[in-house]
Parts: sequence; structure tokens; C-alpha cells
Amino acid sequence: MHQHILRQAQDDSGVEIAPAPKLGRAIVVTSGKGGVGKTTTTANLGTALAQRGARVALIDADVGLRNLDIVLGLESRVKYHLLDVLEDKVTLDEALVRDKHSETLVLLAAAQSREKDEVDTEKMRALVQGLRERYDYVLIDCPAGIELGFKNAIVGADEAIVVCTPEVSAVRDVDRVVGLLGNRFKPQLIINRLRPQLVKKGKMLSVEDVNAILRLPLLGVIADEPEIIITTNRGEPLALRHDGETASAYHAIAARVAGEDVPAPSPEFKESLMDKLGSIFGGKRA
Amino acid sequence: MAGRRIVITSGKGGVGKTTTTANLGAALAKRGSRVVLVDADIGLRNLDLVLGLEKRIVFDLVEVVEGRCQLRQALIKDKRFESLAILPAAQTRDKDAITESQFESVIAEAAQNADYVLIDCPAGIEGGFRNAVAGAKEAIVVTTPEVSAIRDADRVVGKLNDRALPIRLIVNRLRPEMVRTGDMLSVEDVCEILAVELVGVIPEDPEVIDTTNRGEPIVLDPAARLGIIYEKIARRLEGEMVPFTSFDSQGFFGKLFGALKAG
Amino acid sequence: MSLIRGRGLGLEIHLAGWEFDAAVNELTARLGERSDFYRGTSARVVLGEEPLSDEQVEALRAVLSSAGIELRAVEPAPDGAELARRRAMRPKRELKLSDAARSLVADFDGARADIAERRKRGEASVRRTNANAAAAAASAALQVAPPPPPGTLYHVGTLRGGQALHHAGNIVVVGDVNPGTELVATGDIVVFGRLLGVAHAGAQGDNDAKVYALQLHATQLRIASVIAVDEEHARSASEPEVAFVRDGRIAIAPFSKAAEVAG
Repeated sequence: MHQHILRQAQDDSGVEIAPAPKLGRAIVVTSGKGGVGKTTTTANLGTALAQRGARVALIDADVGLRNLDIVLGLESRVKYHLLDVLEDKVTLDEALVRDKHSETLVLLAAAQSREKDEVDTEKMRALVQGLRERYDYVLIDCPAGIELGFKNAIVGADEAIVVCTPEVSAVRDVDRVVGLLGNRFKPQLIINRLRPQLVKKGKMLSVEDVNAILRLPLLGVIADEPEIIITTNRGEPLALRHDGETASAYHAIAARVAGEDVPAPSPEFKESLMDKLGSIFGGKRA
Repeated sequence: MAGRRIVITSGKGGVGKTTTTANLGAALAKRGSRVVLVDADIGLRNLDLVLGLEKRIVFDLVEVVEGRCQLRQALIKDKRFESLAILPAAQTRDKDAITESQFESVIAEAAQNADYVLIDCPAGIEGGFRNAVAGAKEAIVVTTPEVSAIRDADRVVGKLNDRALPIRLIVNRLRPEMVRTGDMLSVEDVCEILAVELVGVIPEDPEVIDTTNRGEPIVLDPAARLGIIYEKIARRLEGEMVPFTSFDSQGFFGKLFGALKAG
Repeated sequence: MSLIRGRGLGLEIHLAGWEFDAAVNELTARLGERSDFYRGTSARVVLGEEPLSDEQVEALRAVLSSAGIELRAVEPAPDGAELARRRAMRPKRELKLSDAARSLVADFDGARADIAERRKRGEASVRRTNANAAAAAASAALQVAPPPPPGTLYHVGTLRGGQALHHAGNIVVVGDVNPGTELVATGDIVVFGRLLGVAHAGAQGDNDAKVYALQLHATQLRIASVIAVDEEHARSASEPEVAFVRDGRIAIAPFSKAAEVAG
């Protein structure tokens, strides 16, 4: 015993004290426009990050219209929700639901029968802060619109991912939201539901068209696939797979979010992406 | 007699409220009714875009409410239809710029000189939704056959029931092939869950996005199948019994489907 | 109220509550105390209740100039909203709307009355910049850019949909003005970038106001009470242009030819 302790003391002599754990990143996924894929993106990005080993907490901030639990296939496991926690009826740990597929992914579901104005802004901020101390990423699924629900979802976040589809109405709404967010959130863009064939025919906005107005660093572009609807209906996020374009796109996005330098996506998209856009992918400057 | 006041709502965003408001309004106008479309999505206005009327906006809903102009000054006549006008929302304001009763007054005034006032409701169930519903005497709920959308629609139906508004349902963006493979709910499933009278079924159509981007409602194209469908919805609203095309079996693809199935 | 206040790069001489002669004496005395301290700076005179005659302005100019101070402007006393706007004149990204300025948009009658009033008083209907050789020389000597002309809101950064700048004076934006954005100025509007939103210059009735942009693609242009919509989408402005009123309509010309056009 004595010997053992001595040896350990020798081993410890050169060891540095581990630095205090870093605060996790709190990212709100928003858009203004409804139906562009915020919830699907939150679920898939969260899954992809967790698959890389990160500890991820997802918060559904759409009180009254909760959907993140469905998309993750967790609706039958939800016992308590965001308001239960904010109102101190249960602890955070009692309310957090562990994901079925990814070990390090948890969900805090929204309430279904409550209203958005029942959320206390300061308590929401504290909640997000508390989660940041325990998780590497806290992703907040923001409701559509720019009303109170939106305002409560962004509080506590210090980064934003905006999701936009290649439609004029969506671009306008997203532009509004980016204006409201301001530079503080360092918003980055995901373009969702792109159909390269329609873009080629001139029947859909291109990535360039969208970003000519939005002028945001591009995190990724996701094509419209029936698979996406199928998997959200079934509660099995596509990011659980490692094959297929959409899954790869989400994994690439997760890598970029984590700070990796991931080159522009597959050749399929080169038609809708002009080469110069490659330089505005996060982190990579041509 | 004052016109009918119908709010087009959904809960879930992106299911096609604005596109439906625009096209249904245009279809009703094509059939001779005087129609006023009102965009209640203050701050995120899109109805003007979808109709290609953005450039002609001079006054908006909020300025009418604040008394800075008359309703008739704010209404924009759509030159492509004899009797269609829109009251755009404000873009640089927020939804708390008007109250429910203010909105109701504007709708009441619009209804005096119109046969139909269709209100394009914002997504969600917050203040914007409440304002929009306050002006209405009937509702059309739009949903897609996806679980999330239906759940949101259900919530909205509950709230509309609280206000005793008669409700009708439009199922939008149906993909019959996905219904067949069991990857999408059928129209019957949706109706059973929501328990609301069905007034329209609209299939997914990639052309629609382009028409909304260009501000040319699909109803303008006499050959477009979606145009015909919107017209049928208009007729049902007017009280006519128009049979639904059966999408769930042979439906849309008719003989072609038969051939595919065999193949 | 103190006569002299330091303000950013220059001085403000506040005449409210001062008899003119007493003010001149006080000014002379104060400037005499520290003869070279203010040398090279500029000053604005802010009037009290009474306007000044030309001789009085000259007298002030002489006193200031003997202390090496250049008189840049003589202005009526600002109200609270104007004070707030002045503070907003530094380039910044946060936008504040002035409630008083919102009414600029639709109050044409009020605007006409206001113009008549100003003309009675012998003032120009809108404060404008006049090229001032002395100012140019002085600033060249200081090697410092002259401050923007009084009454100009200077904004650096892109304006996004739903944002608005309303200003009693001129507006300069260095950046893009996205669609869904509103610029309203009683004076000119200059966009050093793409103008895609709505711009309303001369909002209180000044038909001589102009809109300049590197790319003039506004959704809608308004000057005084003239509104113009560019129906053909094919306008592809690849050079800077200016919009102005001619014969009661809005015309657009390339900036390079601007010298040849009215105003």
C-alpha cells in the first residue's frame, strides 16, 4: 500500500490539474418561417453531434405545439416537460429524456397544453445556462414566428443556426429574423429542401439566390428527399445512418459546427453551388 | 348582406396557409365573388409576395388600424382578377401593434363590401393567431398528412372549438404514392384524427413553389391541375356538393397507376 | 442654460434663454479666456425662441472665427426626438425608430402645412447641404473628415427585412437595404450598396429630393407624394443611379449623367 501511494505520487508529479470544464455551446435553431425544417434539423444535428461522442441536450421551445419528441421517436417516453422544470415541479433530471439511439443525447420536451407566455424568460435563461454546464451542446428548437415564443427560445443561446428553404417567402422571413438576432448570435445558414433539378430548370431559387440576400456563412445544404418525411414520421432521424446524401450532409454540418474544416458538399450540388461559394463555408476561406 | 369572414389557419408553419389563401381567394374571385384577402402575419408578411403585389403596397393593415389611412386606400386590387383585393400586413412592425378588437373592426369593415374576406393567419397559436381568429366567423384548417402537422392542427382545432367557429379541413401536399407505401397518413386517417369536415385535398406539386416565387397564383393557369382543385374547393365553400377525386386508391394516376402497379 | 457645450468634434452654442447681445458678450469673453483651446474646431448655433437676422449670424460668425472656430450651421432648437436622432448619427448597427418620424410617411397634409409655414419664415423646406469651400479647406487643414451635414442619419451595415430608418433629414446607408426594409427621409436617400427595399425621400413634400444607390432595385420608390413601381423586372442596374421627380413622375438616370438632370 505504501509503495503504491509512493508510485502514484511520482506519476502525479508531472501532471497538470485538469482545467475547469468548458461551458457548452448553446445554439438556437430558428427561421421565422414555419415548415422549413427547424425541428428536423435540430433532431438530426443533435443526433449527428452525439454520434461523434459529444454530450448534447435538445430543448423543444415550441410550447403548445411540441414536435421535437415526435421527430426523435420519444413521445411515449416524455413524462415531464419544459414548463414543469421552469416551474420547479420536477427537477431537470427527471424531465430529461434519454434518446433511444444515441447515448449522449437527451431531450427536454415542450408542453403540449400550455401557452408560450407561461415561460419565464429569466428562468429559461438559467435553464439553458445550467444545461451548458453539463453538456457540450445545447440545441434549442425555436418555434416559427417572431413573437414571444421566438424571444424566449433565443434567450440563453449565444449562437444561432438559421434554416431556410429556397423560396422567396422563406428568404424574406429568415432575413427578418437575422435582422432581429443581430450579430451577437453569429448566425450561420442551412439551406434545406433544395431540389437541384428544379434549380437547373430555373423553377427554384439556387443557393446563390438565397445567399445573395442573406449573406450568411453557409453550414450546409440539404436536398429534399421523401426519406426525410418518412423518418420524421417514424421518429428515426436520418443522421443515425452513415450512408446517403442527407445523412452525410448532416454529418458534415455537425463537423463544421464542431469547428472542422469540411470541404463543400458532393458534386451533385456543384450545379446549384457556384464554386466561389465554397469559400464561405464555415472556416474555409479560399 | 355582409360577406363571409374565414380565417385560414394551421398551427404548423409551412403547410400552405398563404398559398391556399391566395389561390382560394383567386378561385372565388374568378367565379364572380368579391373577395378581400387580409394578411394577418404582421412582421412576416408573405401574402403580397405570393400574389406578386409587393411593389404596389402603399398602406398596410397597421396603418388602417392606426387611422392613418382609409381601408379602401390600403386595399390593393389585383389587376388579373375582376374582384380580388388584398390588405397587406405591415413588415416593419410586430404583432402587438394591433389588438384583437381592432383587427375585428377592420375585418368587419372589409366584409361590408365583399362576399368573402379570407384571413391569412400566421403560424403558431400566439398573439398573431389570436388576432387573426378574432376577425373570423368561420375557419379553414390546413394540414399536411404528417404527424407533426396533424398534432398542431389538432391543437388549433381545439382552440377554434373554444370560440365555437365552424371549421373545415384542407389536407395539403398529399403524396398518394407515400400513402400507398404506408409512409404517409391517408386522408381518411387525417379526417378521423381531426374530426372536422373535409373541404379539400391538394396533392403535392413541385410547380407550386415556382408560382409562389413568381407571384403568379396557380389558379391563373387554366390547365393546372391544382388550379382545378382550388376551384373545386371554392365551389364546396359556396355550398356545392363536389365529389373528391379519390387519391388513395386509383386516384390521380388513374390508368397510369394501374400500369405501375402491375409493373 | 449654459451657452457653450462641447459635442463630439465641435461646439454647440445654445441661445435659448439668452438675449442676443448678452450671448455675444458672453461668447466673446469665454472664448477669450482660452484663446487657442478651440482653434480649428467647428460650431453649431442652436436657436432659442427667436430666429436670427443675417447681421446677427454674421456677428456670431465673426466672434467664433476670431477664436479660430468655424460656424457650420444655425439650427432651430431640437425636440427630444431630434436629440435622440442626433445621438444616433454615429455609425452603428442597432436601429432605433423614432415614433415622431413614423408619421412622416402618411401625413401629406400636415407636410404641406409645414412647408408653407417654413416658406413664410424664409427657410428652405428641407435642410440641405451646401458645398462650403471654407469648410473643405478647414477640414483639409485638420486632416479630419468633416462631420456629416446636420440632419443626416448615417448608418453602416446591411439593413434587413422588417427594419426601418425614419429620419427628418437625409439618410445615408453604407451597405445593402434588403427587401422588406423601409427608408423614409425628409431629405435625400443615399445607399452605398444595393437598394432592394422601399425608399421614400422628400417625405414631407420635397419634390427635389433624390434617391441614390449603387444598385437601384427598390421594390418601390417614393419621392414626396409621387410613388413609382418598376413593373418590368428586367431592370438590371449595373451602375449607380439616381431617382428624381420630373413632370410629376419619378425618373431614374445613371449617376454619371446626374449633373445633366434637374435639381
